[in-house]
Amino acid sequence: MKLKLLVLCLLLSCFSVASAQEGTSPPEDTLLFDSTLLPAPVTNLVAFDTENDHGHAITLEWEISVDDGAGKQSVAMYEVFRWVPDLMTAIPSFRDTLDYLKLRTSSSWSEPEPGSRTDSIHSVFAKLDMAQLEQKKETLERTIGQAIRDLPAAHAAYPENGSWQQVAVAPSGSVTAEDVGTKEKDSPDYLPDYSDFYYRVNAVTADPDIRTPSEIFGPVQSYGQWFNLGRLAVFVFVMIFGFLTIFFVSHARRGADLYVRPLAGIEAVDDAIGRATEMGRPILYVMGLGTADQIATIASFTILGRVAKRVAEYQTKLMVPAYESVVMAVAQEVVKTAYYDAGRPDDYKEDIVFFVTSLQFAYVAAVNGLMLRELPATNVYMGKFFAESLLLAETGAVAGSIQIAGTDEIAQIPFFIVACDYTLIGEELYAASAYLGREPILLGSLKAQDWAKAAVIILVLAGLILANLGVGNDWAWANNIVDFFRVVD
Amino acid sequence: MKRQIPVILVGMFGLFMIFQYFVPHESSEWVYEFLLDWTIIIGIFAMALGLWSLYRVSVEKIKTRKPAWGYNYLTLCGLFTMMFFGFTTQNGEAWGWFFPFLVSANLVLVLMIQASVNKGGRGLFLGLAGVFLVACVVIIVFDNTWGFHFETAQGLQSTMFRAFFDHILIPIFATMFSLLAFFIASAAYRAFRARNVMATLLLLAALIVMLRFHPFYGPLTPYIAPFMSKTSNWLMNVPNLAAQRAIIIGVGLGIVATALKVILGIERGYMGKG
Amino acid sequence: MRKVTIIVMAAVIVLFLASWILKAGAFQGEHDHYIIRGFLVTFAAFLTLAVMSFLYQDNPYYKFAEHLFVGVSAAFWMCMGFWTTIVQNLVPRLSTSLADFFEVPQRAEGLNFFFYTPVILGILLLLRLSRKIGWISRWPLAFIVGTTAGLNFIRYLRSDFIKQISSTFVPLLGRDWEGIGAFFSNLDLSATGQLVMMVSNWVIFLGVFCGLIYFYFSREHKGVFGAGSRVGIWILMITFGASFGYTVMGRISLLVGRITFLFRDWLELI
Repeated sequence: MKLKLLVLCLLLSCFSVASAQEGTSPPEDTLLFDSTLLPAPVTNLVAFDTENDHGHAITLEWEISVDDGAGKQSVAMYEVFRWVPDLMTAIPSFRDTLDYLKLRTSSSWSEPEPGSRTDSIHSVFAKLDMAQLEQKKETLERTIGQAIRDLPAAHAAYPENGSWQQVAVAPSGSVTAEDVGTKEKDSPDYLPDYSDFYYRVNAVTADPDIRTPSEIFGPVQSYGQWFNLGRLAVFVFVMIFGFLTIFFVSHARRGADLYVRPLAGIEAVDDAIGRATEMGRPILYVMGLGTADQIATIASFTILGRVAKRVAEYQTKLMVPAYESVVMAVAQEVVKTAYYDAGRPDDYKEDIVFFVTSLQFAYVAAVNGLMLRELPATNVYMGKFFAESLLLAETGAVAGSIQIAGTDEIAQIPFFIVACDYTLIGEELYAASAYLGREPILLGSLKAQDWAKAAVIILVLAGLILANLGVGNDWAWANNIVDFFRVVD
Repeated sequence: MKRQIPVILVGMFGLFMIFQYFVPHESSEWVYEFLLDWTIIIGIFAMALGLWSLYRVSVEKIKTRKPAWGYNYLTLCGLFTMMFFGFTTQNGEAWGWFFPFLVSANLVLVLMIQASVNKGGRGLFLGLAGVFLVACVVIIVFDNTWGFHFETAQGLQSTMFRAFFDHILIPIFATMFSLLAFFIASAAYRAFRARNVMATLLLLAALIVMLRFHPFYGPLTPYIAPFMSKTSNWLMNVPNLAAQRAIIIGVGLGIVATALKVILGIERGYMGKG
Repeated sequence: MRKVTIIVMAAVIVLFLASWILKAGAFQGEHDHYIIRGFLVTFAAFLTLAVMSFLYQDNPYYKFAEHLFVGVSAAFWMCMGFWTTIVQNLVPRLSTSLADFFEVPQRAEGLNFFFYTPVILGILLLLRLSRKIGWISRWPLAFIVGTTAGLNFIRYLRSDFIKQISSTFVPLLGRDWEGIGAFFSNLDLSATGQLVMMVSNWVIFLGVFCGLIYFYFSREHKGVFGAGSRVGIWILMITFGASFGYTVMGRISLLVGRITFLFRDWLELI
């Protein structure tokens, strides 16, 4: 099988002229010059799988040549070479042929430009009819699949049927380089995991023909890790925060009395619903432009649930225009349950929450119209808002509604502050659901948030003190703390 | 069963998304990419729900004679026409019976709604709708200057789809956006009237930042303008930075806490149970 | 209908027709479909003015523009979503014959049967239209909410929380003494620059500190704590004012853009 593949690969390589020139020719690495001109090679070359990644990459380290920055000072850069089996080199040209065959058998085929790469392949297949082309296409697809599966075996055959190819360069003075491939099997940069790679580093002088290869290092394999140690800081925070939340929630469940300071905007919600009931006018609840995947919208759902329950109890009318269909579906679910919980399932109508449109200002135009025609007594804006915030809030103010807003979009908060009666700023939006429900469990998690904030204040203070005491001192441990917070992306 | 399974699903996928961040392995990336694609595709299915809701609410408004109910016909016709443009293209230069078809089809829609809304005269409306429907069918069968196309997004490139986009959507969108200039003025006036410390601070800061743009100080420009621009820069770089940082840390914590509550099933408000 | 309304409407119709005829005349020779083009440009100008009339009060022209806008935009998103997501992304992963029908190029990685899952979930979502088994639509919603909650949890913990802390941290321990740490090392008051610098560093430090106190929920804001919280909200207000002022100019340039359209593209006065 492998022999057949190789024969086929050689045949196909002949079709694609360019690819044969591009990468397959082995570099002439040891040239017979005056040996005194040759720089000393790099020493102690090691290669190992790159840490904290998904595989498909190898890191190399070495000690610089004695002629780099010292000695003859002749090293200009280092070139990293990997031994690549012929099978791997042939895959791109297989692909070119397959692409050609796909194009040829599709409806959008047109004669290629003379002299182009496609034309050189076309000259081989021009005489075949459609059935033959289809058959060739299928064979080639299978061949490529098999070739990719055979790559580890081809690497294991080192040093038979392969050549050295340059995969990275590093400037003089550097002691490390990375050979990064991709996991995409279609890509020409695909680097198979669990295959034996062999590396060599050349010390190159200003004259690129004068260079000295190092000892060969290998075999080395790449593979993916199951934990990214560079993200340990985040992991520690997840654990601490998760622990704090669970601790305070279970604490609250046991009946501990947790104090939370009053928030004017939240207290106003109840009054506003009462006012609407007295006036016999509806309440408009706007969830903004957020999609269901934004947490601000999820916080808004929770607040909507509380508001809807109160509204159902007072038998007031509620209107919730939605900007997005998924948001609409979730909001319907929320309002429906709120009506059930309030003991008024018959008052619930599917049209309380309705879809308008997903274009920002079309949505605003419709909601503004609603405000002026239905004259809601109260407008509640909770969630993600963008430029439309002011259009909505000003129209509501002109229409004389009581307005309560809450958003975490910093740029929009000023407009709400100016045009609304009450505004929940930033984090208050997320705290609001705990407030409205007054459920100990949710208050418990609020407590966890406050603890985390206290920790931030202490950290910042500690940083300040450290900084000012540490003038002129080289405190490695302080730098280690800083490094811990630096998250590897 | 009705309540538990969603909560379990949320917890399962939520925890997976948290832990995949720490797992660089290919298989974790693979599932991650799948899940992201899936959410987008489900969202598109939801659009059908949205359109159904829009249709229902519009018809309901017509039925109950809500304020400005007549305009809802316009919404429905706009919706239908734009959808129609999204799936049709001209075969050549001539327009043929394209526009008469469009008018007839819209009439069928309006008459059908009329028939469903009005108890009296239903027969008449249905009859007329039938006549226009026949006209539409005849045009589809005999007119070859245009057609329905399902090849890659040809409808999106069709002349009328683009024309509606350029001459209806864009002008209204841009004008609504530009209204903000007036609204911001009235909002500033509102802030000016509110006499408390907060509003005064807000307005003062706004004034200082606004005044940096306009060197309208006459002969005093060289003395005042640099001072204003320096002060406004300081406002933007110093107190602004500090407050933004405080808000961002707070919001970050709020988001993290809410997400965690959702994943752990403590917060079920989004499913209608909190 | 009131007399004034009828007169205004008649005037609008006459102006519209006049503009249409004039624009069509102007486009003749320039474009193939000059009648349609003339109509479209006039219509765009009409819609612009109709929306602007909202500043005066709610009126039939605004209602016209608003309702048309809602319908057309909803259909626009539907078409875009259908062609770009369903046809381009989903179809070639599900079936070759469907891909051939829509004439979308097939994917290099071939069919992927995992993509039947979102289709099934999408159909489950549509079941909410049924009264009896509508509850099943909570499953796909739970899937979306769960996935994105997990994603956001990590994203914000990293970017909004840990990165903000570390960016308050790094200048403190650096040798070039920028940020808050500059305060104590810059005690030389002779130069004004240094004084400003010192004050700035204090403000940044106090701003973050007092801002966080303001967002502290589980303690009464009284005494020292109350004072801190009050300073916090003052600094927040100054920030909001600055951001308000910063936005004004941007909004005015948008208005200028629209007026340019009316006077250049429609009336051709400038």
